[in-house]
Amino acid sequence: MVYDCVIIGGGLAGLTCGIKCAEEGLRTVVISGGMNSLHFSSGSIDLAGFTDNGSIIKKPFDYLKKTASGKKGHPYAKAGLPAIKKSLDFFISRLSEEGITLNNNGDYNHFHVTAPGAVKPTYLSQESVYSPAGKDIIKSGGKIAVLNFKGFRDYYPEQTAANLKKHPLFKNTEFIMGDISLPYYLHTEKNLHEFRSTDIARIFETERYLPRIADEIAKAAGDAGAVSLPAFIGISNYREIRRKLESMTGKFIYEIPTLPPSILGLRIDSALKNCFFSKGGEYIAGEKIVSASTNKGTVESIMTGNRSTSSEIKSRYFVLASGSFFSGGLQAGVSEIKEPIFNLKVQGDKKRSKWYSHDFFDRKSHPFLSFGVETDRNFNPCSEEGKTIKNLFCAGSVLSGYDPVKEGSGGGVAISTGYKCAERIIRELEK
Amino acid sequence: MIKLENISFDHCIKCTVCTIYCPVAQATHLFPGPKQSGPDAERLRIKNPELVDASLKYCTNCKRCEIACPSDVKIAEIIQNAKWNYVKVHWFRPRDFFMSRTDLVGLLATTFSGLTNFIINLKIVKVLMHLFLGIPYRMSFPSYQKGTFTKLYKKKFRKSQKAFEKKAVYFHGCYVNYNNHSLGSDLIKVMNALGYGVELAKEKCCGVPLIANGYIEKAKKNASYNIDSLGKTGESIIVSTSSSCSYALTHEYPSFLEMDNSSYIDRFDYITKFIYDEFTAGNIPPMGSVGIRAAYHSPCHLERMGGVIHTLGVLKMIPGLELVVLNSECCGIAGTYGFKNENYEISQGVGQNLFRIIEKAEPEFVITDCETCTMQIEMNTRYRVLHPVTLIAMALDKKG
Repeated sequence: MVYDCVIIGGGLAGLTCGIKCAEEGLRTVVISGGMNSLHFSSGSIDLAGFTDNGSIIKKPFDYLKKTASGKKGHPYAKAGLPAIKKSLDFFISRLSEEGITLNNNGDYNHFHVTAPGAVKPTYLSQESVYSPAGKDIIKSGGKIAVLNFKGFRDYYPEQTAANLKKHPLFKNTEFIMGDISLPYYLHTEKNLHEFRSTDIARIFETERYLPRIADEIAKAAGDAGAVSLPAFIGISNYREIRRKLESMTGKFIYEIPTLPPSILGLRIDSALKNCFFSKGGEYIAGEKIVSASTNKGTVESIMTGNRSTSSEIKSRYFVLASGSFFSGGLQAGVSEIKEPIFNLKVQGDKKRSKWYSHDFFDRKSHPFLSFGVETDRNFNPCSEEGKTIKNLFCAGSVLSGYDPVKEGSGGGVAISTGYKCAERIIRELEK
Repeated sequence: MIKLENISFDHCIKCTVCTIYCPVAQATHLFPGPKQSGPDAERLRIKNPELVDASLKYCTNCKRCEIACPSDVKIAEIIQNAKWNYVKVHWFRPRDFFMSRTDLVGLLATTFSGLTNFIINLKIVKVLMHLFLGIPYRMSFPSYQKGTFTKLYKKKFRKSQKAFEKKAVYFHGCYVNYNNHSLGSDLIKVMNALGYGVELAKEKCCGVPLIANGYIEKAKKNASYNIDSLGKTGESIIVSTSSSCSYALTHEYPSFLEMDNSSYIDRFDYITKFIYDEFTAGNIPPMGSVGIRAAYHSPCHLERMGGVIHTLGVLKMIPGLELVVLNSECCGIAGTYGFKNENYEISQGVGQNLFRIIEKAEPEFVITDCETCTMQIEMNTRYRVLHPVTLIAMALDKKG
């Protein structure tokens, strides 16, 4: 009993790859050690946001066409433009099967607003972040209400408004500040300040509170046509809740991603997992992979490290989508960068002082952000001895050759490389 | 004061992901969630044990927080520790005392099984238990069987097991010993089909209910008894059909109770892991088609052990089993937790999601590895619940 495909890492790259594999009838398992970083993300998918010198990219595909031929080591160059496009279409359609609409602005990037009030380019967003209706409202220059849930400490609307005011798009916009609260909800021992985004999301998901919430929103927002709230208007059925709130208040409702746990990211995470399950995929949570056994350039099995119950998992193909430093896919020692499971060849400077820039917010970014596993054009990595491993593919932020923060490309790389790896495995199995 | 090996709370990056996945925090706002009750409050408690917070009691120890944690913090363990180690309870709590002594109560109940089953199902007894012991009226206790599994084994199986060259020791646990002999018999049938003779070692309750009710010293005594007894079983492998017993024997003994279980740990497997390994190695006995549509529910503690993959692997090898894998949800009972008045509503609230998805799946049976999940599901849905081993035994019966 052997798997066709074992995917190490249950994040954006791993799950995209898993869905594609499972859909093609491969016996697929995703092994995830702790929840993925979608829980810390904005929930928007960046494709390519900034050029090398930091200016904003308007049409990401046009830009990619140029880079794809220019930068050989870049994951986008290896995936190729047609696969990138195909993977995004695949991603959008699978999420919509699970009830999440992802909007884009045709071939153009659109903007989304962060909690501190920065305006950032991105490619795909949920409808509460980007939709043609919202675009019209901003263009018309009407009043915008920036609201918060009273006592919620993970978000400060004054900061959002103050920074937005500095942006040319909102130069002439009038901002209304305000709080919403639910007095009768608070007959609980819980301190108001202890509410996190998920707690509030559950309040919004409680049907009987909605009219009262809508009342509060209408009162606080005055005559503003659009209302922004920290993203917590429900997790599973947020579309329905948002639609109801919009019709009750008569206002457009916008969501701003908060500090973790990010509800916008959480929605994508649960949609991806549900999709993966519905295609028959297996998912193991909270399991660490500690080692692998390779023989003559092929991986034979990997070992799980759940203390005394560790076990061996065999498969024909493996995908490493274990993420970057934060997720443990890469490890930094005193003077080396390591990939801990397969001990793959890693691209990254040996000298620690060259890993980072002195300035935290350096426009040139930090070199360590583009460190990662070195692969060939097929996303096959090399062992430490320099031998290509044929049945192992790498996807997502464990890869080297790109800087997700500086380029604004993390989401796009994860989805396209995850998809591409699945395609390669499917093709090889057909042979 | 701080043990150096016990500072996993310091790895917490305050991402709050655990709280999203906490079934109790989802069901009630009275519980501030694992992050706050665990690593956050631990810093305060180390400074001043008086800062132990009453809301700790809501934690069911399902360990879903530990599964979700990206930073490998032993959240549930921190909470369990805080619950009992900072505050020592000295007074006698009749309900918790008897509820956690599963082997004592089991032994008494099986001796007078007919009478016990009659009495505990009387409405008037249920009302009295509700009023005086704080056991919810609507909960029904599992029925007790006549005599113990150990006795049954001696009478019916011991002789035949000697014929097998390969031996396995079976840690049956209290549930099989007092409430479900047929699961034990199924286990023997399956092990025999795989070519293993089954032996029993002396055992006491693994300690899970004792830990949950704060009888830590008693749990340690039981653990040391079991470690001693299992350690003496030589080279033979040890299996268990209970996911929670397995979790205690492999994980909670060394970490939470700080007992050395190295004498048997390498030989111990939860049953589906053992069968999975045998099946994968090609040792597959002939099985017939069971012709059943069933929904599989993965118990929290099995997930924490990383054992779901093996159960699923084994189930997928059973001919004629149409399997619906349910989304991972906690059933809410958490051992003895759901059998207490003060927890009843939360316990039911937690389970609602699972009951709903079971109904939606429209199976003929539900499959799960855990005995208390079985009780909770049978109480709250219209389905009978089977253990994976029972299904294999059914398939073995159907051959040729």
